[in-house]
Amino acid sequence: MRNMKKLISVLGAFVMTMTLLTVPAVSASAGAEDASVVVTMPTTSEPASGFDPAFGWGAGEHVHEPLIQSTLVRTNKELEIENDLATEYSCSEDGLTWTVKIRDDVKFTDGEALTAADVAFTYNNCRELSTVNDFTMLKEAVAVDDTTVEFHMNEPYSIWPYTMAIVGIVPEHAYSESYGQNPIGSGRYIMKQWDKGQQVIFEANPDYYGEAPKIKKLTILFMEEDAALAAAMAGQADVAHTAASYSDQEIDGYSLFRVETVDNRGFNLPASMPEEKDGITYGNALTADVNVRRAINFAIDRDEMIQNVLNGYGTKAYSVCDKMPWYNEEAVTEYDLDAAKALMDEAGWKEGEDGIREKDGVKAEMTLMFSNGDSVRQALAEDTANQLKELGISVKTEGVGWDTAYDRAQGEPLIWGWGAHTPMELYNIYHTIKDSGSAEYSPYANETVDKYMDEALKSSSLEESYELWKKAQWDGTTGITQEGDIPWIWLCNVDHLYFVRDGLKIADQKLHPHGHGWSIVNNIDEWEWE
Amino acid sequence: MRELNQRQKARLLFSFAVLFLAGIAVAGRLCSEASLVTDFSRKNLAPCLAYPFGTDWLGRDMFLRTLTGLSTSILIGVCAAGVSAVTALVLGLAAATLGKKTDSVISFVIDMVMGIPHILLVLLISYACGKGMKGVIAGVALSHWCSLARLIRSEVLQLKQSEYILIAGKLGHSKFEIAKKHMLPHLLPQFVVGLVLLFPHAILHESSVTFLGFGLSSEQPAIGIILSESMKYLITGKWWLALFPGIMLVLTVVLFDLGGTALRKILDPNSVHK
Repeated sequence: MRNMKKLISVLGAFVMTMTLLTVPAVSASAGAEDASVVVTMPTTSEPASGFDPAFGWGAGEHVHEPLIQSTLVRTNKELEIENDLATEYSCSEDGLTWTVKIRDDVKFTDGEALTAADVAFTYNNCRELSTVNDFTMLKEAVAVDDTTVEFHMNEPYSIWPYTMAIVGIVPEHAYSESYGQNPIGSGRYIMKQWDKGQQVIFEANPDYYGEAPKIKKLTILFMEEDAALAAAMAGQADVAHTAASYSDQEIDGYSLFRVETVDNRGFNLPASMPEEKDGITYGNALTADVNVRRAINFAIDRDEMIQNVLNGYGTKAYSVCDKMPWYNEEAVTEYDLDAAKALMDEAGWKEGEDGIREKDGVKAEMTLMFSNGDSVRQALAEDTANQLKELGISVKTEGVGWDTAYDRAQGEPLIWGWGAHTPMELYNIYHTIKDSGSAEYSPYANETVDKYMDEALKSSSLEESYELWKKAQWDGTTGITQEGDIPWIWLCNVDHLYFVRDGLKIADQKLHPHGHGWSIVNNIDEWEWE
Repeated sequence: MRELNQRQKARLLFSFAVLFLAGIAVAGRLCSEASLVTDFSRKNLAPCLAYPFGTDWLGRDMFLRTLTGLSTSILIGVCAAGVSAVTALVLGLAAATLGKKTDSVISFVIDMVMGIPHILLVLLISYACGKGMKGVIAGVALSHWCSLARLIRSEVLQLKQSEYILIAGKLGHSKFEIAKKHMLPHLLPQFVVGLVLLFPHAILHESSVTFLGFGLSSEQPAIGIILSESMKYLITGKWWLALFPGIMLVLTVVLFDLGGTALRKILDPNSVHK
């Protein structure tokens, strides 16, 4: 019987682990009276290095407004640039100097005035320390006088205002290594309390220079989606983030709130023949054929996919920047399986006996990878596999960890999530990098596309640059869309879903970027209880 | 009808366990292709006649998935337990016969490995071997041999001092002959029973490692993965995703244990009187 006992104890341990992983340990109360709000966010949204812009707060992998600090400019609902701290800004003819004038009536919450020196300090500090956002185009920020700051650039960078919209200004006099733990800023909110791994509490800044925030207290709880759902069911959160798989749940006193996004999902198709370098395979024999890539884009039924995977809570994606001011609508490609099959036939990929196409002994097979544990990406991969089977391409799916995914994606398609409020995203995905002469995440190179993007960065106004960004996508003869090289296939933009307590009025949201976290509270100051 | 005696009961139980487990292992292999099929037109179905265990959010048939998962678990278990048992036999024999120094080295290794919490050791080894099937097998195989090795060592030490062995030595039999003729028959039952009783541990550890995300990747059917995925959907009332695979896992483990105990009764009748 000794063995039986052991068994029972092992089983018991197993059950305990399972229980520990699910039980949320939070308590919070809702309050319409004191204008407070409790919002849940994924655990990954908790800033590991604190609330310091140099370590990715606001200006990190997922961009959002920094709340605690104020920014020089901000993006409006159409994602155009508006002044915040800045009163005016301009760029020199050669694009190498940006001059920004700032307000003179702004104080940090410790009572000190915010001057151009703080702005210059913030940017120089970010340039030196930031590993999560690119500041390499900035040579130096200089405070000319108390209200004027100049940015000297290494190279022209016309979309600099989009960087200025996410970098929160920190006080030079109160900045140290531990700034991220006790941030001081001039923004709409003050961070009052941070219980790591659990919650952050913000209170409205009484001396804020703009309109006074309507919501006086904001509590953020960090938890997984299932725990967030439980929190909403228990009435512990006013806004609970959720996923499409939970969207059919009905909770008394809550309704589902849907925000459209550019939080897109798509996969790369390595656009060169396979070649091994340093143990990494670059390129793929199947997807090196542009007709195969075009056929795949034709054969994806995005409507069906959004119904299947997202319960309808998503929008079709044809590019990495749908609905952004720099989006080229030529990217739209309607589902057309017959056209896809015709393309494959034409390119010499003939159907074999098993229904799988082949050409010159190469079978139309590929592995579509997704990040382990991400159920939406897994479902997208599975649905893509099912849809491409109709076309005669056999797709295997495989869950991988991010430790190996980047290298393997050089030779096999991987499901990615992108989407940011800056055209730099196009550059990061499609522009070649100097060392390898190929794009960073998936083998691809097109000189014309590169040229348009370089010109876009050099142009002297944002509006002008939008046109060039569009041309980089499709200029009438070449580009990255269906008629062009189509090195990436875009599937859908995933709506961000929330259960919101009845009576809470969430202000209009701009299109959320990638990351189901802080974006929802960008305009928390404008929310209201009814 | 005549009542069966203990021995017959044990035989019956043992053959039932073996048949059932072999059945699952074979059936799982046969439907491993079908268990990967996703079909969004049948997602989130509660158990019904066509899908006795229901379907998940990708429209995968949970019955097939559970079968394949269990069969993977059983194969990993058999493989890992086999490697463990052979390691244990070799090390146990070596410790008992190759002199004091070898003995203290091997005993030290055994103590050391046993000193590390089991699940932690499995995680570490699995991670170091690059996860996946290889990692799990290596992790489970390299961490389960100690107690059996210790058992065999003490058994051999005891045998060495027993009179009939000493007499055989005095009569001029070679060491090898003694080991083959007198020791092995005595050790075999212990060894086989120890081997069988390793299975349930190996299977449970395989599923816990996979459950915690250090084992197989998430498109593969494995009990640990099925259970960890089901956690996300329990709150929405999809109880069947966790219940049936869980029951099947427990059933498999219990059957292995019962089978092992029955085997001991058959091979080593004396133990029944203990």
